[in-house]
Amino acid sequence: MEVNVISEDEYGNESYSELFSKIMADINKQSHIERATLVLKPTVPLFIFSVKLRAEPSSKTVGDVANVRGEGSDAHLTITDERYAPSILEQLWKKFGREAVDQQTRFDLDVIGASESDVKALLVASDEESINDMIGAIWRTMPEGIKNRRTFIDGRVITVVATEEMMEPHMLEEGMRVHEAEGA
Amino acid sequence: MFEVMMYDGGIYRSEELFEMIEDVGGAVLQKNRSSQMLSVTMAVPEGDRKAIEALCKDIGGEVKSVPLAGTEIAVVGPTLGRHHMPHPICDIAENLRRRGSITVVMGLARGRGKKTAQINLEERKIIGEYDAAVFMLGNFKNCVEAKTELFREIDTPLVLVCGPVPEGIDDAYDAIVSGVGRKMERMRTTPERAKLDEIADAVEKILLEKRRILEEDPLFVHPAEVKQLLEDYEPVNMCLRPGPIVMHLDGLRVKIGYEEHRRHVEDMKVYGRRLGDICAISPSKINDSSMLIRIKTRSEVEHDDRKAGR
Repeated sequence: MEVNVISEDEYGNESYSELFSKIMADINKQSHIERATLVLKPTVPLFIFSVKLRAEPSSKTVGDVANVRGEGSDAHLTITDERYAPSILEQLWKKFGREAVDQQTRFDLDVIGASESDVKALLVASDEESINDMIGAIWRTMPEGIKNRRTFIDGRVITVVATEEMMEPHMLEEGMRVHEAEGA
Repeated sequence: MFEVMMYDGGIYRSEELFEMIEDVGGAVLQKNRSSQMLSVTMAVPEGDRKAIEALCKDIGGEVKSVPLAGTEIAVVGPTLGRHHMPHPICDIAENLRRRGSITVVMGLARGRGKKTAQINLEERKIIGEYDAAVFMLGNFKNCVEAKTELFREIDTPLVLVCGPVPEGIDDAYDAIVSGVGRKMERMRTTPERAKLDEIADAVEKILLEKRRILEEDPLFVHPAEVKQLLEDYEPVNMCLRPGPIVMHLDGLRVKIGYEEHRRHVEDMKVYGRRLGDICAISPSKINDSSMLIRIKTRSEVEHDDRKAGR
C-alpha cells in the first residue's frame, strides 16, 4: 500500500502516514488498498482521505473464496481466502444447520446433504458491505472531532471529505479534485 | 517523617513484614497479590527504614523505590473514544503506576474537535482534586495550540503530552513532553519506553516541587497517620471499592459517603485534636460516595486556633 500525505504540518505528516498504515493493517484492510492520498489541513480544519482499491468491490459467493466439490450426497469445501472463513461458517450454519457442517481442519469442511451448486451460490459478502467497511475504516483513521463528512465513490476510488463545522463548496471541490486525481 | 517504599517478593513470611510495619507505627498504602507474588507499598518512619529493608531481604523479597507513592494522578484525554484509548493514555497511566502512583484515566465529555472542544467547570474541579494531571493531545501543532483552553485553568500541576511542540502556550502547563501523538498500538519499543519514562520523570519533577512547597509549611499530620486512623473506622474497613483510602500529597481521598459519615470523621482524634479542626473535609466532585480530606498546614492550624481563642 502506497500512502501519500499532503500536509501543512510537518509532525502530523509523518505520523499520519504511519498511523493510517497501522490502522488499515489492524482492521485487515491494507491488502485491499492499492494507494491512498491523505490531505491534512488542520488549520481549516479539512481532511480529505482518498483510497484506490486493488479491485472494485463486488459481491462474493462461497464459490469465489473456496474450492467446492460434490462427494456423493455431501459437499466438501476448502477455504482459499481466510478472511471470509467466519462468514462462510455463518452462512453454512444458517442454511444447512450446525449439525450438517463438519469442520475437519481450519480450512476444510464437509456439508452433509448439500449439493455443490447450493454451497457455491451462498453469498458471503455483498459489495455494499465491502464499501461500508472501507468507509468505516477511513473514518476510524480521521481525527475524532471531524464529524461533518461527505463521501464520493466511483469504481475503485473512495474519497471522504471531512470538516468540523460547515461543509463549504470549496471543500467539496477540493475533495472532488483529489478524487478525480486518484483515477475516479 | 514517613518514608514510602515498596516490597516486591513472595507471599511467604509476609505476615512478619505486616507485623513489623504495625510495630514501627507505619502504614500499608497498597497491597497487590498475584498468585504467590506480593507487592506492598508502605509508609514507615524514617528511622525504621533499615530494619524494614533487612526484613524484606531476609524473607526473600526486594525493596524498590517508588517516588510517586502516596500520590493520585489523573491522565486525561480529550474523550474516551478509540481514537485516544487505550494507547497512549493507558500506557502513560501504567508507567506511572509502576512508580507507585494511583492513577485515574479520564476522558472529557466534549473534548473532541478543534473549534468545538470544551471543558466544563465540573470537569476542571474534578481534575483539580488530583495531585497532578497529565493531559494528552494529538499530532497537529495547530490543534494542540487551539485546545489550550481545555487545560489552562486547571488548579493542579499539569504535564502536557503531545506530538509537536506548541508555541506561545508556555504559561498553560508546568511541564511538556513532545513526540507522543495518537497511537494505535502499545508503546513497547525502546524509544517509546524512553518517552514514557520521560513523562513519569516530568510528573515526578513537578510533584517534587509541590512537596518542596509543602515542606516550607509542613502539614499538621502526615496523611499516612490519618490513613491509619481511618482504617479502623468500620465503613472504611468494610468498603469493597478498590483502594478505599487513597493518599494525596496534602491529604486523602476516602471512598465513603460524605453526607453520611462526615460528622463521624470530623470527630476522630489525632494528637488530641479533632480531625475536623485540622483538616478541611469536603465531598468529592465526582459524586457523593467519596470525600476529600485536605490536611491543614501547621500555620493554618495555629491561625485557626488563634481565631478561636484556643
